[in-house]
Amino acid sequence: MDAFRIFIVEDDLLYGEMLRRHLTLNPDNEVYLYRNGEECLKNMYREPNMVSLDYSLPDMSGLDIMRRIKKDFPEIPVIIVSGQEDISTAVTLLREGAYDYFVKDDDVKDRLWNVIKKIRENLQLRSEISYLKEEIGRKYEFRNVIKGNSPSIKQIFSLIEKSTKTNISVSVTGETGTGKELVAKAIHYNSNRAKKPFVAINVSAIPKELIESEMFGHEKGSFTGAVTRKIGKFEQAHGGTIFLDEVAEMDLSMQTKLLRVLQERELTRVGGNDLIKIDIRLIVATNLNLAEEVKKGNFREDLYYRLLGMPIELPPLRYRGNDIILLAKHFVDEFCQENKMKKLSITESAQQKMMQYPFPGNVRELRAIIELAAVLTDTDKIDESHISFNAVDAAENLLMEENTLAEYNRKIISHYLQKHNNNVLLVAKKLDIGKSTIYRMIKEKQIVL
Amino acid sequence: MSENLELYHLDKLIGFVGDDPAAIANMVGIFLQTTPELLETINESFNQKYSEKIAKAAHSLKPTLDVFGIDSLHATIRRIEQKARTEEFDNELFELINKLNIVLEEVFNSLKINYL
Repeated sequence: MDAFRIFIVEDDLLYGEMLRRHLTLNPDNEVYLYRNGEECLKNMYREPNMVSLDYSLPDMSGLDIMRRIKKDFPEIPVIIVSGQEDISTAVTLLREGAYDYFVKDDDVKDRLWNVIKKIRENLQLRSEISYLKEEIGRKYEFRNVIKGNSPSIKQIFSLIEKSTKTNISVSVTGETGTGKELVAKAIHYNSNRAKKPFVAINVSAIPKELIESEMFGHEKGSFTGAVTRKIGKFEQAHGGTIFLDEVAEMDLSMQTKLLRVLQERELTRVGGNDLIKIDIRLIVATNLNLAEEVKKGNFREDLYYRLLGMPIELPPLRYRGNDIILLAKHFVDEFCQENKMKKLSITESAQQKMMQYPFPGNVRELRAIIELAAVLTDTDKIDESHISFNAVDAAENLLMEENTLAEYNRKIISHYLQKHNNNVLLVAKKLDIGKSTIYRMIKEKQIVL
Repeated sequence: MSENLELYHLDKLIGFVGDDPAAIANMVGIFLQTTPELLETINESFNQKYSEKIAKAAHSLKPTLDVFGIDSLHATIRRIEQKARTEEFDNELFELINKLNIVLEEVFNSLKINYL
């Protein structure tokens, strides 16, 4: 850590010099002594880490100087060291933002050391947080989050980049495992809100009775079990981004409340009366078709349009062609590095096997398959025998596609026709449907024999 | 160096600046430079009945006298400040200021002998 810069503002030469000498006993401290407020303000360009201010100065009061410091440098802690043993003065100063208030008594020495220790620890924590935020930012750079060269994924990069430039709401859709939350994080950590919080809520994971309190907070005693005040996720995300995952699962009454908050940009905690202003960027995600949900009456149309913003539809992995291999290689490298294993390659046959698989669990499933393969191999290669798709059965694969009922009908009838040599009568009997239905589908070219 | 323990003790000062003779001598030097000025302000202001000036000078002297361990003036200086703030120019204030002068004169002399 750099030197800890302390300003002492003290008109009493003896006391000021004594404090200066005392604080310089720690060689990490760089101490400056000023005899009046103007001198201190003139030197604020040195950016002290802390200002120790005498309350009674010849040119202005400690309160006036503190106000001027706080106006331009709100982060710098100001300690008032005063001969005044007056509680009301101390209360006023603390209310106005003083970090602490000491009387010039025998304890001032120890209290100063303690307060400096505390401020240094805070500074250390702040610098660690800032470093970690930068690290997270790097982690969520677009190309680190989403790997791929396919045209569909390049289009996603372009949309993400555009969405970071403004505060527009973003709705991310895509099958399970396509990386909706990663996209939300990439948008947040590449936007001008990156240093503020990213708060995620999985709507489907929170019981209906608790969702309002979870999102908007509650006041103490507002319901049984509300033993303390709780700050909701929206308040926590103030200045940053809130990510509502599985937003289609929200019930209609909560949708109404959410709409109001989004329109007014203010909320009221459950059981509270105060209106709390919030500044958030909203990103929502769902694996359902929200427009369909609106048609079905499960989702409010006005909320739908407010949430829609910039739609980003993540393509299923099976439509991303060679990205499957690119991602597989990335995951195997990452896994080997994390587990301090020697580098593994993926054989041509293993690649072929993966290219033919529909990956209903998308990228998440691919990662799991690759990690298992890396563990199973005894050589420096992953071959097809290490690639196992047993985790998800074929029926589930079909359901993962999330087709319409008509599309499923078409697929099932086509499958049966292929299996039974296009014998329409037999298939109609097996599926317990009219043969005319099948003939009509053939005629309308819904089914190609 | 011997201290006149009846008059003052420098434990607190050493606690602040460390047991460094040069630093202590420097602080004693500042004390001998600034304290007589404040004492003079109190004396003159008493004669001219400038209560605010007395209160301010007494207020400044409080921590200085504490740091130099001049315990016999601990209550005296506070009482002077209090009486000046309430503008009580009575005999008690005269006696208090008189005591302040006598004790400090002795302290100045002793410090000069021992530290300069």
